Amino acid sequence: MSDDYDAIVIGAGNAGLSSAATLQRGGRRTLLLERHNIPGGAATSFVRGRFEFEVSLHQLGGMGNGPLRQVLDQLDVTRRLKFLEERDLYRTVVPGVLDITLPADWQGVADAIEDSFPGNRARVESFLELCQEVGSWQLVARASLHQPQEQAAWLRGLPRVRRNGLRPAKEVLDEYFDDDRIKHVLASYWSYNGQPPSTLPFMDLARILTLYLEYKPYHLRGGSQAMSSAMLDSFLEAGGDVRFDSNVAEIRTRQGTVVGVRLDNGDEYDARMVVSNASAVTTYTRMLDPTVVPDSVLRDLRSRKLGISGTITYLGLDATARELGFTAGTNMITSELAENTVRDSMHSLDPTPYVVASCYDVDPIGFAPPRASHVAIFSVQYGRVWDTLAPEDYARAKYAYAQSQLDLVEVISPGLRDVIEEAEVATPHTLRRYLGHPGGAIYGFDQDITDSWLFRDADLKPNVPGLFLLSAWTTAGGYNPTIVTAARFSQRLLQL
Amino acid sequence: MPAHPLARFFDHVDDVTAEIARREAGGVAHPAAVDDEIAVCHPKQLDLVVAEVITETATTKTFRLRRATGELLPPFQAGQYISLRLQIDGVRTSRAFSVSSSPTERRHYDLTVRRVPGGCVSNHLLDTITPGDRLVSSGPIGTFHYNPLFHGEDLVFLAGGSGVTPAMSMIREVVNRGLPRTLHLVYGSRRADDIIFRAELDQIARGCPEITVDHVISEPDADWSGPTGFLSAAVVERLAGPLRGRMTYVCGPPAMYAYQLRQLDRMGHPRRRVRLEANGIALPAGEDHDWPADVDPTAEVTVAVRGRGAFRTPRNRALLDALEDNGFQLEASCRSGECSMCRVRVVRGSVFTAAEARLRTSDRDFGFTHSCAAYPVTDVEVDF
Repeated sequence: MSDDYDAIVIGAGNAGLSSAATLQRGGRRTLLLERHNIPGGAATSFVRGRFEFEVSLHQLGGMGNGPLRQVLDQLDVTRRLKFLEERDLYRTVVPGVLDITLPADWQGVADAIEDSFPGNRARVESFLELCQEVGSWQLVARASLHQPQEQAAWLRGLPRVRRNGLRPAKEVLDEYFDDDRIKHVLASYWSYNGQPPSTLPFMDLARILTLYLEYKPYHLRGGSQAMSSAMLDSFLEAGGDVRFDSNVAEIRTRQGTVVGVRLDNGDEYDARMVVSNASAVTTYTRMLDPTVVPDSVLRDLRSRKLGISGTITYLGLDATARELGFTAGTNMITSELAENTVRDSMHSLDPTPYVVASCYDVDPIGFAPPRASHVAIFSVQYGRVWDTLAPEDYARAKYAYAQSQLDLVEVISPGLRDVIEEAEVATPHTLRRYLGHPGGAIYGFDQDITDSWLFRDADLKPNVPGLFLLSAWTTAGGYNPTIVTAARFSQRLLQL
Repeated sequence: MPAHPLARFFDHVDDVTAEIARREAGGVAHPAAVDDEIAVCHPKQLDLVVAEVITETATTKTFRLRRATGELLPPFQAGQYISLRLQIDGVRTSRAFSVSSSPTERRHYDLTVRRVPGGCVSNHLLDTITPGDRLVSSGPIGTFHYNPLFHGEDLVFLAGGSGVTPAMSMIREVVNRGLPRTLHLVYGSRRADDIIFRAELDQIARGCPEITVDHVISEPDADWSGPTGFLSAAVVERLAGPLRGRMTYVCGPPAMYAYQLRQLDRMGHPRRRVRLEANGIALPAGEDHDWPADVDPTAEVTVAVRGRGAFRTPRNRALLDALEDNGFQLEASCRSGECSMCRVRVVRGSVFTAAEARLRTSDRDFGFTHSCAAYPVTDVEVDF
């Protein structure tokens, strides 16, 4: 088979879809190849009994008039979807220590914290102001990598960004607050990055808070799969070709330059540009002739750690969110304030001290039947700890771990276990299987400060001529970063 | 790896670049052979050899399958199935069979197969497979298994005919592992000599207080003194006692489910305490009351496969079967609407999708369906 395409995109995950739609709509004949029988990658859903389950989308950031919204508008995707704005950022609970819900509003956050921890309003407002400045800077700067002069001039005038951007979130929080409870509440989004506060880059905490406070958190009718399918339709309507159940075994090169791909069934397709939405590790070390991969790339790969994966228990519950005690969609529950307990648990199969419990029926996305609800309980974990299990011990271990997640959620939802109608547990092994990512890493490499785009300028470069990597492995993980970066980068590929 | 020109404007930039240099010096390669790691529990394909064929009843045999390589088979959860991939009369197809052996035994999987009138695959296996033959299957899959998060320790299993096979695996596991779990099997067969695993079940029930077995016969002869009829609310209540929220598994012929759910509902048993094994499509397309009026289910329509050709097929032939009949290959596993492996997109025309298909909101909105449970109503074009 030898169709002539201008570009081939490997993988119909968020970044792959965004890139393929951008290229095709920009007039490049594009072939999109996907291993599974649906688009989406992690942006998908599955059904058990009466329930549909959202696999990965906790809260969609960057909508409102934010960067994601602009990209979805440009790709003619927005009109195909129904977005639901959430009222709250999250509810944070440490049993016996604190229980607070932050609304999705800068001033509302300050008010809520003042209500729970009086006497801190001025500090909170000043901290949020810093977050907004650093967060807004990063959102613009990361999208403007190709304009270094303008960006440098702007950054020169932002001394607080330059002073605080690279610091760990914990250090900045310590500077602003004495009360550990307030620091805990304001750092709750660490799990959306994967680094606990002492290694979470402040610029990333600031970016995440800005995405949700400035542009509001959203859910989607039909879940993330609706958005994947809508991006696919935008691509197809522009004349793009997609092949499902198509597993790329090799990126073909000639004299060191990309000339196409070969599938595991032997089919070959030609194109002078290939965009890989597969993991950087797989792309560089499995799909390419080793002699064409520069040593600098391999050295860089070795220097980076596989990022977090997670264990997620999906529950279909025969009761309403209200009956269950879910007042907020997103619930961060931690057994104690000490960060070390959480950090250690990410490398352990012991009972978890930490969950994010997302209830998709406080602002219903339509996945649960009437009078029922759908909850996903997520604990950050590194994949490696699951590799220590013998295959025959795996099922028992995953249910035991899930039991400890349920124990924590019952703090805010007593009796939850009595109304379980469906329950499915996904571990790092599950995520590895469905995403094809080493270690089941969901956000690519570990997102400490060394992973920042500020220090990984070659991530988006064609280190093998004709090959571009667009995924959580080459930009920040999550919906807004991957979709926006892929679209903007592919826009620039159109000028080549 | 070079830093972006903006990095140098930041405080602490040297600390970060020094840390990166340190990691580059001491770094190790990442595990890249993801597919090999996944294959331990989820092999893309199992190459099997028939070690033994055991006659269970006049119409039923157990095929004992070992891995052709001699390695242990992947672990599974009692109640799960594998999908055999076969070529019969030139047509490539697949069929799901629950594993009846215990999950504690990984040297072999037992598949227990009953003759079905008109059953193409079951009868092919019963009539042609002998020890030494090679078979190919998927890895173990399926959601019909015990889940300790909510099933509890006091279980009821309502089985009909060959629907006893997953129960047998669950019972064997309770016995082999000495699990603190009780299971009451109420097992309906047509005749006493149709009962599969009768000797072993009765022996386990005598020796193991956790396991209770009741046989119910719908067409008893004069020798049968046990319970008779179907697994009605009255029969189940009399044999198993009040269900009181006990998790109740149901597995049997597709036609059994609607009846069994009515009986359980009559007993006041909440739906969330019932687990159904996906087991085929209950009603032929034209007989489903949702089938569009005035559309002849036997008439032929044209099915086109995007970019790859077209063929004629009767409306009441499931798309998956029709595609296989005509030489098109696609992944399929449960063939009962549930697993979604055989998903296709309908890009033109309309299909009727049976209620067994577990479609998602976005599938309906964007035209995806499960081809094992979908029937072409008009001329259609599909893509997969």
